[in-house]
Amino acid sequence: MNKLFQLFVRKYQEIPQQGEPASDKPEQAELLSCCLQENIDRIKSLTGNSSDFIVRMFQGANGLSMAIVYINDLTDTAVINDSIIKPILSGTEADTAEQGSLTDSFKVTNDMLLTVGATNTVNKINDFVSALYNGNTVILAEGWDHAISASTSKWQMRGVEEPSSQSVVRGPKDGFTENISTNVALLRRRIKSPNLWKIDRKIGLVTQTDVSVLYLKGTADDSVVKEVLKRLDRIDTDSILDSGYIEEFIQDQTFTPFPTIINSERPDSVAAAILEGQIAVLVDGTPFVLVLPITFFKFFTASEDYYQRFDISTFLRILRFCAFTISMILPSLYIAITTFHQEMIPSTLLVSLAAQREGIPFPAFFEALLMEITFEVLREAGVRMPRAIGSAISIVGALVLGQAAVEAGLVSAAMVIVVAFTAISSFVVPMFNIAISARLLRFALMLLAASLGLFGIMSGLFFLLIHMAALRSFGIPYLAPIAPFVPNNMKDIFVRVPWWMMVTRPRLFAKQNYIRQKVNLRPEPSDTEEEK
Amino acid sequence: MTLSRILYGCLTLIACLGLLTGCWDRKEMDDLALVMASGLDLADDNQIEATLQIALPTGIPSSLQSGGKATKPVLVISAKGKDGLDALGKLQQQLSRRINLGHRGIVVVGEKYARHGFDQILDTLMRSPESRYNSYMLTAYGTTAKKILNASYQMEIIPAIGINKLQYEDFSLSVKMDKFVDALASFGKSPVSGAIRIIKQSSGEQTFIIDKAAVYQRNKLVGFLSGTDLKAYRLMTGNIDGMRLTTQMEPPQNQYHGTITIHLMKAKPKIRTRIKNGKPEVSVSFKAAGRIISNDTSLDMSKVIPLVEKKFSEDIKKEIASTISHTQKKFKSDIFSFGNQIHIEHPYAWKTIKDHWIELYPKVPVQVKTEFRIERVGRTQAPAHQQKK
Repeated sequence: MNKLFQLFVRKYQEIPQQGEPASDKPEQAELLSCCLQENIDRIKSLTGNSSDFIVRMFQGANGLSMAIVYINDLTDTAVINDSIIKPILSGTEADTAEQGSLTDSFKVTNDMLLTVGATNTVNKINDFVSALYNGNTVILAEGWDHAISASTSKWQMRGVEEPSSQSVVRGPKDGFTENISTNVALLRRRIKSPNLWKIDRKIGLVTQTDVSVLYLKGTADDSVVKEVLKRLDRIDTDSILDSGYIEEFIQDQTFTPFPTIINSERPDSVAAAILEGQIAVLVDGTPFVLVLPITFFKFFTASEDYYQRFDISTFLRILRFCAFTISMILPSLYIAITTFHQEMIPSTLLVSLAAQREGIPFPAFFEALLMEITFEVLREAGVRMPRAIGSAISIVGALVLGQAAVEAGLVSAAMVIVVAFTAISSFVVPMFNIAISARLLRFALMLLAASLGLFGIMSGLFFLLIHMAALRSFGIPYLAPIAPFVPNNMKDIFVRVPWWMMVTRPRLFAKQNYIRQKVNLRPEPSDTEEEK
Repeated sequence: MTLSRILYGCLTLIACLGLLTGCWDRKEMDDLALVMASGLDLADDNQIEATLQIALPTGIPSSLQSGGKATKPVLVISAKGKDGLDALGKLQQQLSRRINLGHRGIVVVGEKYARHGFDQILDTLMRSPESRYNSYMLTAYGTTAKKILNASYQMEIIPAIGINKLQYEDFSLSVKMDKFVDALASFGKSPVSGAIRIIKQSSGEQTFIIDKAAVYQRNKLVGFLSGTDLKAYRLMTGNIDGMRLTTQMEPPQNQYHGTITIHLMKAKPKIRTRIKNGKPEVSVSFKAAGRIISNDTSLDMSKVIPLVEKKFSEDIKKEIASTISHTQKKFKSDIFSFGNQIHIEHPYAWKTIKDHWIELYPKVPVQVKTEFRIERVGRTQAPAHQQKK
């Protein structure tokens, strides 16, 4: 068994040595040449003469033969026409008269002719290509050994919409989009402080995905920022298509059912996290922003907790903890009690439960497993199926599998209730990824309950607790304000105190600058009225 | 990597635990014969006859099976044996499901067996691990346990649950097995239990009634308390939930019966003991409070409260004193646990008298003092039907 495992690990380690994942690294640390045609040929051969590479050659107003190169679908052709081609072609006589040398023609084009917002000088093939992929238009001319890259990017993308995975009744309704600059803008609009620092990385040798780390300088722990950047720099892979890739590369512990990084689609909750000293990792191409470091209890806070009254927020928080527990242990509890500890059920209930089980051929464990797997299949089908078949699935799921299974005597009605309630409970938790871990643990606990009863469940839960106490998220203990106990942080765990009482930021994250507000902010009737 | 290796090892072990166990301890609910009540009788050949009332889940009408023909909700079976477990073993041979005593709420002992004495069976009841201590102990009055368990009951689907609820609500007297055995094992207290009998209604339906208390001396039944005696016993144990007392305040007239009824709200019995010349003496002081719930006299309650209080106080005193003398003269059984009180208050004297306490008890002088207070007179002062002057 151990040998088998080692074999697997060895194979796994050999893979990077066999061939560079970055084998398609272009050999272009080279510079642009002076010859226009040579440059164009090199680009064309580099991109395999792809049809969306547009090369437009023309004669500038000063008689210089020039070319612009851009990618059709990434650029705004109106801008190219109006701000690049038009000014160059209609450059005035005065310009032509003055320009004598090549450097002058370059300067004149850049400084006086182009009416585009941002321009850059590129002199390497490498930068040339990446400028093209970012939607820039590159201007070349005969005799220049460098080119101008003008920002003309424009492509179709989703606008800012309401987040689909984390909705609220009260609170901002905007959500992150697939465009990283929009996402950064959404955060900057909320935190108008020079202390909101942004560090960029490009990760993925082929995809060259933009990854930004945002944090509040002076509040966030600098050593954590350093650690995050170190882990990001370690990533050496070909592609990053979603923040999930990054999450798996930088998380502390892979072999755990619990996530140690939160992802959020809501700019307001990410902004709140940044303000508390946490760090956001934005990845281009996905609306899911990573927030770290986190603790277990962060998964149970919804952004709406802070917008609604504190009393209802407190109630809902406790409800979520209960629902999470239910979604994890209810089926196993039912199995354990009905097959091992019948004494614990009130007599009348036991008799009616036994009446329902009368004629059921399977043991309770198998019955529960059957229903749980059925539900998981239904849920997965509900997520993946085409929208048009939705109603068919719900009819089949609710009627055929639920009611008919009971009537056919395959499962007992009580078991259907247990599984249904478990399923509903698992949707109460605001963060989807912790609900998933409860979903998996449920099966393990059911197996333990079926073999050892309540003793099995308890030992399973102890194992989990020990595991959770050992988990870390970027150095922060996973069960932090409880174990180790941090009394100061308890104001926002099981209860959410009124806003004027939240004087300090959570000390776990904000190590340096933890005073959030003044102390005496409790609203009171003003004194002037009393004097009257 | 070592951590994940340990994790894999643990997971494999857990999987083995779950999958490799041959015969585990699991019992499905429908593999159990749920005993709801058990009864014990003395058979003619001096053997013990055990009766079990087992719930039949198939007979419980559930929403899914409505409309089907009604089957009996319980199965009652009996077998004789040398002792309780022997009989249980014989019963198990008749049953396709395993006998489960976890839900037995009632243990009924037939009168004949109770008078004969049942030490041995109590030991079995207490010793066997699957037997529950908090079952109610009942003595069948004038009948056998087998007949009680075979009787049907209209109000509940399972008769045993009906008896259980009668006991649980504490309408008369309820004693659980642990309390019964505790009294049995102590020198200074005699056990009592509720006494159950079957009565026939005029409609021909059978119902249970628990309106007596069975009084034991050691492990033998010596008699039953009923009526005012039972009431006085309940007053002395402070178990007055919902108890009402009626007294004759005036001689009956043509318009009035002359009675006043009160609802007891508080009762505080206090037993004090003294040792005088090496002999124990007991004084009982009893404080109670109540509210008037019915006034069938010509009196105006706002004026005569002290009178009414005095009358009730005397009534209660008489009842308690007569009940105590009953237990002393008739049963010779210390059901009020005077002996335990002497043990607490005079431990050294108790050592010398505890062995012959049973003989001593009938001769102990008992003084009764009572105090009664009326806390509320209800919403009207004078009787509602009296004309205003």
